[in-house]
Amino acid sequence: MEYVVQTENLSKRFGKEEAVAGLNMKIKKGEIYGFLGPNGAGKTTTIRMLLGLMKSTSGRIHIFQKDLRLERRDILKRVGSLVENPSYYPHLTAYENLEALRKILGVPKTRINEVLEIVRLQDVANKKVKGFSLGMKQRLGIAASLLNNPELLILDEPTNGLDPSGIIEIRNLIKRLPAETGMTILISSHLLSEIDQMATTVGIVTKGKMIFQDSIEALRMYAQQRILLKVSDSKLAWRSLLGKGINADWQDEIILLTEHSNEGVAKAVQSLVQEGFSIYRVEEEKRSLEEIFLQMTMEEKAV
Amino acid sequence: MIGKLLRADFLKIKRKGFWFLTFLGPFGVVALQMVNYGVRKDYLLKQSEDDWGYYLLNVSSFTPLALALGIVILTSFMASIENETNSWKQLISLPVSKMNVYLSKFTVLAFFLFLSSVLLMVFTIAFGVFLDLGEQTPFVEIVKYSFYPYFAALPILALQLWIATVSQNQGIPITIGVLGVIFVYSAMVLPDWMIWKWPTLTNEWNEPMINVLLGIGVGILLYIAGMIDFTRRDVK
Repeated sequence: MEYVVQTENLSKRFGKEEAVAGLNMKIKKGEIYGFLGPNGAGKTTTIRMLLGLMKSTSGRIHIFQKDLRLERRDILKRVGSLVENPSYYPHLTAYENLEALRKILGVPKTRINEVLEIVRLQDVANKKVKGFSLGMKQRLGIAASLLNNPELLILDEPTNGLDPSGIIEIRNLIKRLPAETGMTILISSHLLSEIDQMATTVGIVTKGKMIFQDSIEALRMYAQQRILLKVSDSKLAWRSLLGKGINADWQDEIILLTEHSNEGVAKAVQSLVQEGFSIYRVEEEKRSLEEIFLQMTMEEKAV
Repeated sequence: MIGKLLRADFLKIKRKGFWFLTFLGPFGVVALQMVNYGVRKDYLLKQSEDDWGYYLLNVSSFTPLALALGIVILTSFMASIENETNSWKQLISLPVSKMNVYLSKFTVLAFFLFLSSVLLMVFTIAFGVFLDLGEQTPFVEIVKYSFYPYFAALPILALQLWIATVSQNQGIPITIGVLGVIFVYSAMVLPDWMIWKWPTLTNEWNEPMINVLLGIGVGILLYIAGMIDFTRRDVK
């Protein structure tokens, strides 16, 4: 399998603190890779290393199957990025801001109007960025990252500080890009709901370690509902269920059914009734992705 | 590569007052003599047989100070352009080498300071001719007094740029810059090895050329040291 981005044992140490510890990241072509983790988990540090802004303490980074250490400039020609807060020159207009970058990238001037149109800033192209709202600055940052028609777009918390309509706009834009241009996108966020609506693949990082990396569907599998049974003599009841070959867990006086098809639940209930247990409640518990995310990151903290 | 960066840097300094400051420095230096000669021209002309030489001495007494001040202001402006919204990260994540980024910043500053040295020469000649200081305009001397301090001040420029680009807190380069200006002001009592004395072109051998050569040599060394330090650091 060819990966657009691949890191091996990537680590970064600031003094005694290990911000990124042995991170293995794999991103396939055309994916929208959601890079998820709580604040301070090492997302931005990882992204900075991917862009060559920081040198890794150890480990290797390959982008487009090229070693970042050896071919940084060739790689960056094909990468667009927006890291943390948008950077801009407030005393210049939106157009001039992009022009300053365009001169370095060497793309045709018409591209400036194209990207301004993509992020819908063409009407304020000749206004100074100083007076822009945060959302407009963020969009300008995205426009800047698209200037060189990148094959890999790296966006670090691109919807930070945007209002709901701004978030939706950016989300639609990000969803559109891979389909239209074959672009691969790495997008980081601390909000699962955000990633859930865009990403095709998810990597969850906490304390500098990758604790989950798979498709969004695989993550959703964790979110499957469970059936909770509250019954009298729950421990005995649980044993009787196991004795009948029905898979279940017992936790804090509650029986958790692993099976959750209608027939399966009916069978378990029927068996309990026949055994003479009183059934107080049969509940369905749905775990949101948020809970899974929290649980995953909490477990890591507990260790 | 470096050409692209330079063009981008010249665009970024738009509306930052670089051109105005470049004009203001040398104009101010000569304007002080306009006041001086305007108030007491007869007295000043009596001070020396060589009226041009005496005039140049007066002009050049303020040149190092203006130069040092200009370096501090321009370097901190230059660094502030990228520091203001931390656009270093955006700049460095473009396909550029960090060495070229640093070189481009230095080149722009060196260009503006050189331009102000040219203007100093022009203003010096213009006001000297206006004062009617004598038939023979000492062009060679004027060129020396206009450009020697520039080369002798290169180490200050390299040092200030280094500090301004790597400091998170812009108070540090400003503080060191202000200290430097004070050093230049009190150059008389400074030992010869201090870089802030060099733009005054004085040394114990009374040979300005030593300051020029030292300025270029040490300037290059400090520039390389700053550039290496800049490339090795992580971008914040």
